[in-house]
Amino acid sequence: MRRAAQPSEYMQLLANALIAGSLAALIAGGLALVYGVLGVFNMALGQLVLFGGYSTWWLHQVVHLPLIPSVLGGLASGALMTWFTFEIFVNPFYKHHRFLPLVTTIAWSMILDGMMLLLFEERPRSILPGLKKTFEIQGARISVEQCILILLTLVALLAFAYVFHRTSFGRKLRAVVQHDSAALSLGINSAVLHRVIFIVSGVFAGAGGIFIGIDQNLSPTFAFPLTIKAYAAIIAGGKGNIWGAIFCAYLIAGLEQVLVGVHWFGAFYVPAGYQQTVALLFIIFFLLLKPSGLFSSQSRTA
Amino acid sequence: MSILSTSHLSLSIGEHRILSDISFSVESGEIIGLIGPNGSGKTTLFNVLSGFLKPSTGTIHLRGEDITHLSPAKRAGQGIGRVFQNFGIFREMTLIENVLVALEALPKEERKNRGDLKKLAMETLEMVGLEGNAHTKAGSLSGGQMRLLEIARTLMSGKELFLLDEPTAGVSPKLTQQVADLILQLKKQGKTVLVVEHDLPFIGSICDRVIVMDVGKVVLTGKPNEVKQSKELRELYFGADPTT
Repeated sequence: MRRAAQPSEYMQLLANALIAGSLAALIAGGLALVYGVLGVFNMALGQLVLFGGYSTWWLHQVVHLPLIPSVLGGLASGALMTWFTFEIFVNPFYKHHRFLPLVTTIAWSMILDGMMLLLFEERPRSILPGLKKTFEIQGARISVEQCILILLTLVALLAFAYVFHRTSFGRKLRAVVQHDSAALSLGINSAVLHRVIFIVSGVFAGAGGIFIGIDQNLSPTFAFPLTIKAYAAIIAGGKGNIWGAIFCAYLIAGLEQVLVGVHWFGAFYVPAGYQQTVALLFIIFFLLLKPSGLFSSQSRTA
Repeated sequence: MSILSTSHLSLSIGEHRILSDISFSVESGEIIGLIGPNGSGKTTLFNVLSGFLKPSTGTIHLRGEDITHLSPAKRAGQGIGRVFQNFGIFREMTLIENVLVALEALPKEERKNRGDLKKLAMETLEMVGLEGNAHTKAGSLSGGQMRLLEIARTLMSGKELFLLDEPTAGVSPKLTQQVADLILQLKKQGKTVLVVEHDLPFIGSICDRVIVMDVGKVVLTGKPNEVKQSKELRELYFGADPTT
């Protein structure tokens, strides 16, 4: 029998989309900044996300540090590991050809996969295990932690927007994104900014990992789909357009929730495993039909 | 006094010799035109002078100091300003931000001496008549306006030596005159200018000296009139005269 969808189901979908979108936006935003400035691919991104999450889990659940220091430790370890990635697997290569890090970071992602399996094992790890306290808004159930994560993501993105658009440091960053050589010839030390940008992307990646570890469970198998989703957002957002990538990250995550959350034609649900097809379809669609993306940027077009 | 001198500069990439044994010096306050057919190495020479390419051999001295191994940012800090052939402006930033970012990149001490940077940025735009567009994106400007913005920005960032790469390319005749006036204004302020250009009348009207390049070598130097009448230049652009 066909059953009409209840308004509460749509509200639940919206809440789920907001949660998943916040996570995707955090990761894609940092990566879009790196891509905008250096034009390099960091295929170990998903692993760096998980590394930040696992570090927080280890500090909180194994070392038994309070949550806040564990989160700060997780962010710091995400940043440090990303810095290490930049110095060893990106910096020596991208000056020769900006596609070389595509290969070196794939190799590094495999090493990180192995390391995390060895250190943290395959079973799911949660930073805050146990039942979470939920409440209902307009028929949608949402936990306190999820509300905090959505709000913190917004605060992080707004703070980033302020620095990027309103400060002297942000102007220098944008100058490097838009015309690296002109920025250099004005005396802006872009080599230092390249490092800073990579490390900032690592903090955002670490924050994404902590988000996963608090909202769900951490598992080493999550890494590659996270990388793919972030790149889908960058391609669809217009390569080099940071706010376009963040918007598309919310969009892709929202469509993923719609795909698996709607009772299609009152007849069937799409299995959860097909969620990833949304990001892959975005990549195929935009590369084939609109390579400039939704919000094409003049700063980087390839 | 010589502000810039190069000694036996050469650049090879693989087996290709791009620049070969280039030696010249530029006096402070001079405007030097750099001309030659496409592919003669003019822009490559600018890339070597501004630090984007490292020479295979030879040295570059700025005010007597060896800068051959300094990075582009450090050379900018020493007073070399560059205006790019393909417009070195930040297209998605507003005009005022374009100038402001150049002022903010100055060393801390110099920044302090400049006072209110926003006011100074606005004065820079007034100098080239672009103050009405201060809050629009630089990408919406015409080619000539972009060029004026870029030169004015470099001027206000306190550079002493200007490397201008085809400043009249894609610029309307009216704005070309404004670009020429701006370059002459630089000279009045005691600045030194090296300008790569294909527009020979433009070069003739503003330059003190002209350096002619071909296949990575300096083939001729002299005053604009001497160079204009030289047989070598005619041969370079139109080929050898078969009747002689």
